[in-house]
Amino acid sequence: MLKVEDLVTSYGLIKALRNVSLEAEKGKLTCILGPNGAGKSTLLFTIAGILKSDKGSINFLNKDISKMKAPEIVKEGLVLVPENRLVFPHLSVQENLLAGAYSRFNRKNEVDEDIESMYRRFPILKERYSQEAGTLSGGEQQMLAVARALMARPKLLLMDEPSVGLAPKIVNTIFEIIKSLSEEGISIVLVEQNAVKASAIADHIYLLDQGEITFSGTPDQIEDNDIIKRAYLGDISES
Amino acid sequence: MEFLQTCIDGLLFGSAYSLLALSFSLLFGVMKRINLAFGSTLLLSAVFSLWIDSVFSIGIFGIFLVMLGSSALINIYVEKLCFFPHRGNYGATVSMIASFAIWMQLDELSSFLLPDRTASFPSFLPDSLFLIDIFIRIDQLFLFFIAIFMTCIFFYVLYKTNYGLLLRGVSFDRELAKKIGVNSNKITSFAFAFSGIFGAIAAFLILSTESQVTPFFGFWCTLKGLVAMMLGGIGSLPGAIIGGLVLGLIESNVINYLGAEYRDICTYLILLFILVVKPGGLMGSAILRDERAASERI
Repeated sequence: MLKVEDLVTSYGLIKALRNVSLEAEKGKLTCILGPNGAGKSTLLFTIAGILKSDKGSINFLNKDISKMKAPEIVKEGLVLVPENRLVFPHLSVQENLLAGAYSRFNRKNEVDEDIESMYRRFPILKERYSQEAGTLSGGEQQMLAVARALMARPKLLLMDEPSVGLAPKIVNTIFEIIKSLSEEGISIVLVEQNAVKASAIADHIYLLDQGEITFSGTPDQIEDNDIIKRAYLGDISES
Repeated sequence: MEFLQTCIDGLLFGSAYSLLALSFSLLFGVMKRINLAFGSTLLLSAVFSLWIDSVFSIGIFGIFLVMLGSSALINIYVEKLCFFPHRGNYGATVSMIASFAIWMQLDELSSFLLPDRTASFPSFLPDSLFLIDIFIRIDQLFLFFIAIFMTCIFFYVLYKTNYGLLLRGVSFDRELAKKIGVNSNKITSFAFAFSGIFGAIAAFLILSTESQVTPFFGFWCTLKGLVAMMLGGIGSLPGAIIGGLVLGLIESNVINYLGAEYRDICTYLILLFILVVKPGGLMGSAILRDERAASERI
């Protein structure tokens, strides 16, 4: 579904991605793990058209999207859930959802239906629909960001570290949401630092380190690979 | 009764200041930039439509429409030339200075189209009205109601339409809007066109009550709009309305009780006083607090 080949992205002279190649299959949860500064967000931003690549190709549904701009890429069905500043703090919950559906504003009934289905999926958002999104808790904001991305009817969802900065209990909820989305057949590319949790739900894992893919395989293959297991899943084996 | 008369005069004319301040606030909200060329945009659109009228004699309604269209286009021109290239985080100073250069350019163009320095502007409804002892000019009353109507439209577009929603999204967080795929450049151009149209309506109403246009009108608009915006609170839309009305009240009372020569000095003294006592303007402190809270949360 998504095929990235030999992608190079740099900030000035510093190469943040060096010849990254990866693939995400339809209906699967592909996870990109890596430490801080490995280039995970850079990779997502490049795929989503927010950063420009220097070299390489990005194919989505057999279409080269590497030269497209972000709004066109969203129309193609590739939608990003950003990290950190997730929602428009001064817009209400409902307005945030609407903003996600901006590319099909002309079909109002369809958008209204989708908003209702988001409220069924995340009842807490319905309770707060008129509240300013900035007043929501971290976990609720993350849910709202996911819901807003779903409002664009994505074919592939790009998620940038959904667990960052959340309390452990909330992190579990968020991962359950991701898991259920994946089980519904939504294709997801998930970028994470939380290797343990991510490998528990992922179908395929890539390890990204200093801008290079150092491992590609299923979660089971990581279990079998001692070096990688120690480096990334160290916490389990020690405890 | 005299005080009531000056207050009514002030409120009626202040409503025009409110419209100007709203146009400024819209751009300040979306771009976090001050557009010094805005008044000159309005001047040029007025002078241009008078010029068109002198060639094709399009009448007062035609002048109005040409003003709206040309003001929107000139404002987009200003945006593409000095705001679009500097829309990153650090372009605030550069784009403000660039807008100063455009200001000069537009003013020169206006004086080229206006060789006699002053031109008469068509006025409408020149009658006056006496209510008991109070003297009201019909055209100013008309201006006041149009200002209220336009303000309603302004808030309707901003809060009830999809474009307004995206506009607010872009103004709160440009980066996030970009990340979720909103075409923020298009939205910004829309905001400039919108504020151009809005400002042109204000300019048309002011010019037709004054029934003349001079080359100083551009600078005058920029100054009054900025002062009203600062009085009310930079970036606050209700503040812009209140700031405009307060400015009108101050001016008419100062003119009546102290004399016209004290008008500007008193206005600026009061502005200074308000900014010292309530930094951020009359309605601005809530915005400052919100911004601070938002940046602390992140």
